[in-house]
Amino acid sequence: MSGSLPSPDGEPEENAPARIYTGRVRVTSPLASAPRHVRRTVRQEIDESTGVGEVYMRSLIRSQLRAALTVVITLLLSLGVLPIVLLTVDGVATYRLWGVPLPWLLLGVVTYPCLVVLGWLYVRQAERAERDFAELVEAVGDDDPPGPA
Amino acid sequence: MNTTYGIVAISVVAVATIGIGAFALRFSRTTSDFYVASRSVKPWLNSSAIGGEYLSAASFLGVAGLVLASGANMLWYPIGWTTGYLLLLVFVAAPLRRSGAYTVPDFAEVRLQSDTVRKVATVLVVAVGWLYLMPQFQGAGLTVRTVTGAPGWVGSVVVAGIVVVNVVLGGMRSITFVQAFQYWVKLTALLVPLFFLLQAWSDDGRPSPVAPSDWVDPFTTTDGPGLYLTYSVIAATFLGTMGLPHVVVRFYTNPDGHTARRTTLIVLVLLGLFYLLPTVYGVLGRVYAGDLIDAGRSDAVVLELPSRIIGGSTGEILAALLTAGAFAAFLSTSSGLTMALAGVVGQELSGLDRGRQRRRRLSSISALRIAAAASVLVPLGLALSAERIAVASSVTFAFALAASTFCPLLVLGIWWRRLTAPGAIAGLIGGGLAAGLGPVLTIVAHPGGWFGTAMSQPALWSVPLGFGLMVVVSLMTREAIPLNVARTMVRLHTPERLDVDRRDRASESLASPGDLP
Repeated sequence: MSGSLPSPDGEPEENAPARIYTGRVRVTSPLASAPRHVRRTVRQEIDESTGVGEVYMRSLIRSQLRAALTVVITLLLSLGVLPIVLLTVDGVATYRLWGVPLPWLLLGVVTYPCLVVLGWLYVRQAERAERDFAELVEAVGDDDPPGPA
Repeated sequence: MNTTYGIVAISVVAVATIGIGAFALRFSRTTSDFYVASRSVKPWLNSSAIGGEYLSAASFLGVAGLVLASGANMLWYPIGWTTGYLLLLVFVAAPLRRSGAYTVPDFAEVRLQSDTVRKVATVLVVAVGWLYLMPQFQGAGLTVRTVTGAPGWVGSVVVAGIVVVNVVLGGMRSITFVQAFQYWVKLTALLVPLFFLLQAWSDDGRPSPVAPSDWVDPFTTTDGPGLYLTYSVIAATFLGTMGLPHVVVRFYTNPDGHTARRTTLIVLVLLGLFYLLPTVYGVLGRVYAGDLIDAGRSDAVVLELPSRIIGGSTGEILAALLTAGAFAAFLSTSSGLTMALAGVVGQELSGLDRGRQRRRRLSSISALRIAAAASVLVPLGLALSAERIAVASSVTFAFALAASTFCPLLVLGIWWRRLTAPGAIAGLIGGGLAAGLGPVLTIVAHPGGWFGTAMSQPALWSVPLGFGLMVVVSLMTREAIPLNVARTMVRLHTPERLDVDRRDRASESLASPGDLP
């Protein structure tokens, strides 16, 4: 919009023919008479549930929900389909590893460390999202020092 | 089994439980200590306590018994009980802690601004809690009878008595120490004998389990109903955990959302560690104690194995250790459930006249104590009078009920702005009736065929029903969306380090007794 700032006589600059003023001209910023700009912090926006605050909150909730749904989809595609795979794919249910049938190994042992790893990855992701959100909120126009973490 | 060793084992656990509770009583001073241990429990202590509380008789004795009787398909139970915590971690752990509410009814009230939702949720908490407590008391009676020959009611009454004493005296702070202690008792009690048993099995030439092929490979022979039952167990256990009252209440004892997540992660490790063990007992049971199945006593396999495989005084000492672990399981789960029920009911009692709330709150510790005694008496009466239902099925009914009611309430309440009070009520009542009437119908009328299968394990259809009712009715009652939903969402989801306005102007003082001075 800077290209269309009105010239002193009110006409848009680009259309105005080049004129030479010979007299003294008082040059003022058009913003001089505007109300002083109040810096608003994101925390205020969130506290007052303004449109901006809502946008920040929605983006946080959406990223957390995405992390949660990633875990759910992983579970559905692994444990969720396992009963059907064992039922329909020949040889999987009867395959033996070190003399132990594969289903026993998968259900009795392997699942547990996998669940822990999945939980650990989720916690890392969720806390990163929260850290990013906190830094964003504190960085944008926050005049007060951030509270103790 | 030698009666003396068994009695000594049970006495030691009982005395240690009361002793630790009494020791912790020195720290329990305020209302906040009683209800939420002043929200200051560190992740390791708290996750041990959660593990201690969660691993009930169904885990300690039931899983090995199920594996012994039915084979590999039963491994879905411990997997479900563990995965339930993973889903709790990703959907509710941190937001629930940040909600600042103390129980699910509190959460419902804070989120939906409706006293009716609170009342419906309270009734359901009590229903789930009683369904879960009854088999604990019955199992305790059974164990004491197996070990000492005393009549069945002795064990039930002893467990109920110890639990009430601990809750009444020390509240949540006391219970936390007791349960953390009991997790490690249970793990040790299962782990140490296993080394001896495996050594003996190895010396014996490592015999294979004597079993039909559908025990080893049940999956290849599974038919339609079998597959339905497997998925129904998955639905109930995966989604039910987050709605169990004693599990939920523990999250308010974390200092903040961050530690709530850390705690849950450690719980996953502790549960995974524990659940590796019962399977081995079940398989060893197939080798050495197959006759228990026909005798209908497969739940006793964990207690019986040492005397059968090793024998002598070593076997008896190991059996006593396992008895101690089983007793710890009854005590800790019952303590947690009683504490949760007492918390919910106690708040209702002390908040009877909300207008004079602040003054009434002074008596909230007495309310908690009265409620603890009351919440134990009903399931104890049921346990003594009712026909014995298998521990695992009664527990699974509780899971299915929680999964069909509180799971949709919590998940939608935390992640979906458009949930309304009428929607929540419809889902709680619809899902609750579906998950509650199915098992009752099964026990009373024994319907056959597909209908009978669907009724006996209702979770696979009652959970979608609960979710569906909540969503549809909420969409039909858009005008009932609470006005402060944006504020509640800020409170649930922003990390504590941000100094945003978390006040809930309408019901703060009702919602969190722990924050009162």
